[in-house]
Amino acid sequence: MTTFVFRQFSFLICCAGFANVSPHSILADERELAAVFDSELKPFLQAHCCDCHDAESMESGINLELLSSKFGDRELFLWRDLIEQVEKKQMPPQQDFDEQLRNRFLESAGRAIHLARSRVQEKNGAVRRLTVAQYRHSLQQLFDTPEDFTETLPPDAVSRDGCTNNAELLGLSPLHLEHYLEIADRTLEGCLVDEGQLPVIQNFVMHLGKSVNPDPCPDRLILGANSRLLPNEDILVTELAPEKPFSYQPFEMQKSFRFIEGYQGNSTVRGWREFSGIYHAVFGCMRGSGDYPLGLSHEPSSNGLLLRSAIPSTEIFQESSTYGPQANFKIALRELPDSGLFQVRVKAAKYEDPLLLKENAKVDQSCLTESSHKLNAASGDLQVAKAGIYLIRIEAKLPQTLDESEKKKTDASKTANAKPPKPELLKLEVAGRLVSRNFRPSYFDPASTAGPTSLDMQPFCVMRLSKGSHPITAEVGGKANVTWIDVVRLAANTELEDRFLAFEKRHPQLAVYLGLRRDCGHTLKQVGDCIQVDDNELQEFVFEAAIDDFPRPFVEKNNVNYLAGVREITVRNEYTDGEEAPRLLLHSIEFEGPYLRSWPPASHRAALPKKQIKESEREYAIRALERFMKRAYRRSPTPKECEKALKSWTASLDKTGNADTALRDSLLVILTSPQFMLLTETSNSPKAEKLSEVELASKLSFFLWNSPPDRELLELAEYGKLSELVHQQTIRLMDDERFDRFIQQFSYEWLGLDKFEVVEIDRKKYPRLSKEIRVELLKEPAAFLRYLLEQNLSIRNLIQSDFVVVNEPLAQYYQLQTPVHSGFRFQPVNNGSSDLGGVLTQAAILSGLSDGQESNPVKRGAWFARRIIADPPDDPPPNVPDLEDTPGLDLSLRQRLEKHRNQDGCAKCHMGIDPWGVAFEAYDAAGLLKKQPTDASSTLPDGTLVTDLNDLRNYLSEQHFDRFVFSFLKHLSTYAVGRDLSYNEVLLLEERSKKLAEGECRARDLVHFIVASDIFMTK
Amino acid sequence: MSLHLHRRTVLRGLAGVMLPLPFLDAMRGVHGAAAVESPRRFCALYTANGMSLPKKQNKLDQWNWFPQETGKDFQFGNSTKPFEPFRDQLTFLGGLHHPNGLKADPHTCSDMWLTGAPLHDSSRRSYNGVSLDQVVARHTRQYCRQPSLVLSIDAGVGFLSRTGTISFNDEGKPIPAENNPRQVFERLFRSTKASLENQREALQRKVRVVDAVLENAQALSRQLGQSDRQKLDQYLTSLNEIETRLEASEKWLDVPIKPQDYSTLALDVTNESEPGDYYKTMFELIALAFDADITRSVSFMLNREDGMGISDTFPLKLGLRRTHHQLSHAGDPDGQLDFAKYDQFLAEQISAFAKRLSEYQDPQGSTLDNTIVLFGSGASTTHKPENLPTMILGGQQMGLQHGSYYRREKGHLCDLYLSILRALDIPEERFGDSTGSTLKPVA
Repeated sequence: MTTFVFRQFSFLICCAGFANVSPHSILADERELAAVFDSELKPFLQAHCCDCHDAESMESGINLELLSSKFGDRELFLWRDLIEQVEKKQMPPQQDFDEQLRNRFLESAGRAIHLARSRVQEKNGAVRRLTVAQYRHSLQQLFDTPEDFTETLPPDAVSRDGCTNNAELLGLSPLHLEHYLEIADRTLEGCLVDEGQLPVIQNFVMHLGKSVNPDPCPDRLILGANSRLLPNEDILVTELAPEKPFSYQPFEMQKSFRFIEGYQGNSTVRGWREFSGIYHAVFGCMRGSGDYPLGLSHEPSSNGLLLRSAIPSTEIFQESSTYGPQANFKIALRELPDSGLFQVRVKAAKYEDPLLLKENAKVDQSCLTESSHKLNAASGDLQVAKAGIYLIRIEAKLPQTLDESEKKKTDASKTANAKPPKPELLKLEVAGRLVSRNFRPSYFDPASTAGPTSLDMQPFCVMRLSKGSHPITAEVGGKANVTWIDVVRLAANTELEDRFLAFEKRHPQLAVYLGLRRDCGHTLKQVGDCIQVDDNELQEFVFEAAIDDFPRPFVEKNNVNYLAGVREITVRNEYTDGEEAPRLLLHSIEFEGPYLRSWPPASHRAALPKKQIKESEREYAIRALERFMKRAYRRSPTPKECEKALKSWTASLDKTGNADTALRDSLLVILTSPQFMLLTETSNSPKAEKLSEVELASKLSFFLWNSPPDRELLELAEYGKLSELVHQQTIRLMDDERFDRFIQQFSYEWLGLDKFEVVEIDRKKYPRLSKEIRVELLKEPAAFLRYLLEQNLSIRNLIQSDFVVVNEPLAQYYQLQTPVHSGFRFQPVNNGSSDLGGVLTQAAILSGLSDGQESNPVKRGAWFARRIIADPPDDPPPNVPDLEDTPGLDLSLRQRLEKHRNQDGCAKCHMGIDPWGVAFEAYDAAGLLKKQPTDASSTLPDGTLVTDLNDLRNYLSEQHFDRFVFSFLKHLSTYAVGRDLSYNEVLLLEERSKKLAEGECRARDLVHFIVASDIFMTK
Repeated sequence: MSLHLHRRTVLRGLAGVMLPLPFLDAMRGVHGAAAVESPRRFCALYTANGMSLPKKQNKLDQWNWFPQETGKDFQFGNSTKPFEPFRDQLTFLGGLHHPNGLKADPHTCSDMWLTGAPLHDSSRRSYNGVSLDQVVARHTRQYCRQPSLVLSIDAGVGFLSRTGTISFNDEGKPIPAENNPRQVFERLFRSTKASLENQREALQRKVRVVDAVLENAQALSRQLGQSDRQKLDQYLTSLNEIETRLEASEKWLDVPIKPQDYSTLALDVTNESEPGDYYKTMFELIALAFDADITRSVSFMLNREDGMGISDTFPLKLGLRRTHHQLSHAGDPDGQLDFAKYDQFLAEQISAFAKRLSEYQDPQGSTLDNTIVLFGSGASTTHKPENLPTMILGGQQMGLQHGSYYRREKGHLCDLYLSILRALDIPEERFGDSTGSTLKPVA
């Protein structure tokens, strides 16, 4: 059926007024409906419609044989389109169709729809299973742990609107149940402890720095291919025993080993060998591919290891390597705890780094002042009279003259082709600050002995120096000698000064990963978020997580291979956008695990109360089980449920004779019971009823937190106060950090970001769309929505906005003019460009709706119709060949689409899809503006001509904002209630959207609107 | 039993369906009831580092593992000659590969052989995918004592990227392999009272939990209206099925193992013994386990990639001049000939295994006729994950059409795997990166 946009509901709106009339006899209604259908409607359909629109032909994907005298909810949507077609005289297609027949049909159909809508909707409660995410969050809340136990569960099905919480689609199979049993068992195993046993805690620290270890390991350590171990004297490992308010046993790492399989260089050798010492158990190492583009990837200083940013290999070589980015520092070690939380504590600072200049960098004389200090030596004291920013230039010479070097050549005449000297590493230290890079010395020229020639003085670095005396040393490798050092103050307001000031404003980004070593690289997962290090003083940064959430090697103890089962703690200065930035000073890395704040740990105490002294085992079990059930079932358990729980405890006690085991078994029963796994709303009649207080608590928290209600919500519900205070509670929930779960889940599902996760991008065509940037782009829609919700801004901004919400990588990807120095943190930036702003121009969406090679107007059009204006196209009719299957490989995508559109039965639907998509044509498959100007003008289904996407956004924002508001609300409420909306609910929302669109439509207000609506509040 | 009846009544009342009881089918084989179907089994045999495919200029064509001509009229080469007695019960397959293999570290080709997973993608939640033998196990475990038997030349899992097992569970984690014949024998055929009791206790605990959950669910169902019950019914049906499976497993503990002749087993051999003796004993154990229907899914990693473990030295023990990994890298005529001789040695071992299987009788045909043996490598020659040498033996009772050398250039190995699953009557829609295009000899 032709999909008309912004339908004019003249006919239907008059019906909508009757939507909530009081029901008369249901049976009478049904009978009358059947009569109208059989006597009036069905004969008309059969005579005039079903030739083309029966189950077999399904022209335009429309099958009118689905219509029956039942007038079910789905049929009503079809009726609506059908009536509109007939009313607008689009159908039946005959030019001279009998008007009397038409009017009679419209009248009967109107009557039938009115009757159907005024029937009482059978609506009695709902039962839906927790989604995988909700189940995960429930376990985490019950056991007060960040650990994810649900990794093995199959993912939930996605509804047409993109939701994974659709009650109808949430399947339950023996496979699910088997997983639930296993997961619950594993959760209890990991979260409960034997209180009588002493915990064992592993704690050690690795200090880094030039000769930090006075007693280094004498052996040559080996870590396999592409590993560059740090010099043994530059790392110092100390085992510690942390101070705790409870007694425990410190873990001592194994230090003597016997292996039969080892390594010599890169090849395997066999033969038993003994190894001893902590440095065979804990290694300090750099790994990554190739040389660093400028300077050294890492450099030991007196106070730690200096790390440049870890450039992903794709950025340099355009290909990914499993060895990981350059400047990848890691601790490789053999032992880590099996379970529980752990902390990695990093002491680090932003280094007061000189800005290193490239070889042959040109510095314009106008950038420099006259104030210059020249040092005719490799080291000395520098007297700085005026604090400021200085350029340091260096001259280094080879002892032999140009002539001497020429003499060695067989053909002495080719002076012009004289071999340039080899570059050597030059290390400069000024005022205790280090910087090194390769440096090409020049040949000694006996003719000029007076002083440095401007030709040989090479700009080396720029740095800030305070007033006073500073030691300065320069050291160059090979046979060369540093002959002159020249320090000259930069002139103000010059290009070089600006560059240094921008450099100083940027910060290193500290990231920690945990995983394991592989011969061909590693498997790593990030611990927490990346932290921006903006202080020049050392600070401690704490990264905490559950160790079970990280890759582990699954190697048996006592494996006979030297490199088997080696774990890794990787610390990086994370790459953002490739702009020059000060280095990270990595002072020390400490590991502690299991990290316990108390004993028994929080997870244990969250699940089980403290035993009272005079309590019998049975009394304790009763109390513990009731408390646990109340939290697991999100309500007080019924007496029957308490009785069953105790019964299971007794049964287990009889079998095992152990009260703790019995309690654990009973918790397992509770965790796999439908009371926990299913969200139930119970009704007493088919009429719509108000949610009960406890039902409201769950509905609200699963909507806004995607997690179970907390204590406050449950208590309010138990006291019957929640419905009264629902507005305040909604505010509280939106202010809680768990609200982020809603923002992420809803934006992901509404905007269909799963597409971007699976699209295979042609990296040759789009080299900038790297794996790393994709991770950041995927966060952008949620970051944008988060900002709107935090500031309570209008959702009009989703269509177009004069700001974008980006971080450093994205600012670089979009090539924004405004500098962004926020690292990975998203922040609003005024973009001043009409090509960006809102969600429609976000690369994750535009790229996800491509085939990875070219933009795809059909995908984009269908997405826009469904998600942005909620005017979904019908399903394609059966037997439509895929684009790929169309013969003729030499056709362009646009031509293939045209061919596809021109097929019988396709054209009409595509009239409602493609015009939207064509307006996006200026954006390529990487979501950026195409290099060539592209015609994106499009005639919309209602005849409006838009010139480009910006014009389409104006059109939507100015003329049809209500349609966007409706779509947003429809998706929001579908997400909130976890089911498809009924016909009446859709019509109600359409109506209310018209009113709302006249106002501001602020994001938080709309959440309140949904919570207060009958759609949400009744069952 | 009264409790069970009670529960089923409840279930019937709720869902209006009576559940089938799969374990009754399972028991039938054991009790020797009439018209029993033969078990359908699977056995994967892996050899590392590829096979000898000598270069043309070395003039060793008669030593190429692949026959010189395709189709029905193929001739065995010297290195596969030991398979000649089974000409009509085997198929050579050529041209197949895992597309993901081209992207991954070639040393990990054994990890991928039975999974086809994208190992190069280190951002995936789990390193590997599930292996074929474990999919088979998932579907056959209800009929036998052990879901699967995972064997390897070296015990354990080795370590990631040099794994010592070819089996990976549903989560893509390696399953530790067994390598000691005596231990395997004791575990499979000589369950001690204590180990039986442990198993029984674990099973009974699960049954107890499921029972209690079912009862607890009743407490909930009372509160619900008729139309809310659908989800709950799904829940109960699923629970019941699990309980049925658990009960079946528990019943096996009481069923005596089929009496067999163990006198020929040389259980004192280890992987340090003569390679031929070791393989012979391991293969006999597999054959016995199949005959007694202890398991229907076996994987056996005959040797390891990249010079790992003891198997690297086997060619030396057999009088050849280089280690297994060195031979696989050889380009000279001597090396390629020695490598082919090692292939010949392996062919002798597997042929003896096939003979053993053909001597056991199932209700229909021999055990070989009801077993699909997959033999192959994850590389054609070392580090080349294309044109993987592959052979299928046995399984004629499942409709396999044998006796030819079949090629499909750039074909997906996972399509063969899916075809194997279909032949085993396992209703999986896809496997790994299968395209759904089945392979002729199997489908």
